[in-house]
Amino acid sequence: MDPLLELFWIFLKVNLLSTSGPASVGLLYHEVVGKLVTEGQFVQAVGLSSVLPGSDALQLAMYIGYAVAGIPGGFVALVASILPPTVIILGVTMILHRLRREAWLSNFIEGLTPAISVLMLFVAWKIFQKGGSTGWEGWGIGAVSLLAMFLNAPARIVVILAGLVGIFFLK
Amino acid sequence: MNDTKITVWFRLLWMFLKVNILSPSGPASIGFLYEEAVGKIMSEERFVEAVGFSNVLPGSEALKLAMFVGFSAGGLPGVFAALCGAILPPTALMLIVAALLQKVQHEDWLTGFVAGMSPAVAALIVVVAWELFRAGSRRKVDRRVMLIAALSAIAFWFEIPSPFVLLGAGMLGVILFGRRSYR
Repeated sequence: MDPLLELFWIFLKVNLLSTSGPASVGLLYHEVVGKLVTEGQFVQAVGLSSVLPGSDALQLAMYIGYAVAGIPGGFVALVASILPPTVIILGVTMILHRLRREAWLSNFIEGLTPAISVLMLFVAWKIFQKGGSTGWEGWGIGAVSLLAMFLNAPARIVVILAGLVGIFFLK
Repeated sequence: MNDTKITVWFRLLWMFLKVNILSPSGPASIGFLYEEAVGKIMSEERFVEAVGFSNVLPGSEALKLAMFVGFSAGGLPGVFAALCGAILPPTALMLIVAALLQKVQHEDWLTGFVAGMSPAVAALIVVVAWELFRAGSRRKVDRRVMLIAALSAIAFWFEIPSPFVLLGAGMLGVILFGRRSYR
């Protein structure tokens, strides 16, 4: 398939099946890693989108689109990410009152959520495993970051620090 | 009269530019947006409704919030003003960074940086997964939630394509959680 078409279809799909940027990481991983981008590029995309200000979902789209097909790729991925929520919101604001009574939609999302969480755990494990270091250094960085973020340290600082540690200790 | 309308659009554009430059992701921007918007261009009640809807509907959270706030403050043109403000800063920044990074993709220090970042990114994903799991079921985590989680774990283990698993989980949610409305 043409890479631009493929990008468009992937980001359309991912943005229809997930409710926020961070939650789409799991699904996106399965759709692009190994096919369009490498493991390392994906880690860069996720790391950077949590470091840079602004919507994560759009930044993931921009990075991956650009890595695959340059500036046109970035814009195609962007448009595909923007389209589903825009169409849905425009529809919803017009039929807001009717939708409020539709319990099935919120039940659908409620069923979707545990599955997305599980998917993310799988992806986290894969990223960790293939990230380059599964020795004690890797486990150490992972454990410290996990602890720091559960104690509400800002994710972007944790991610940058981990990268810096990597420059000096993982070669 | 036209003047005031145009001011509202510019105000929306500026507000979302600001919010999206200063906050790292959709969920994190809610608090900031609240201070900027509530009482000035929309009521508290509508803001709560906007947040509720953007949690439930698919797609990027930041965009959905921007569109809701834009719509209630300035109608359809307001939607587009807010959307532009929300889209421009993150994508322009990322485009620059991505372009720079592609040039140094094979440098040693970047390999080290990515290797160090991997465990932290994995940890970040775990944290988000946990928060999502906790927030997703507003009630207690009951047997039905555990059932869906367990079934999808088995499905992912056998490498069933993830969009199918997610669709299946959603449909299971409609069936399982739908019953309580008949009680």
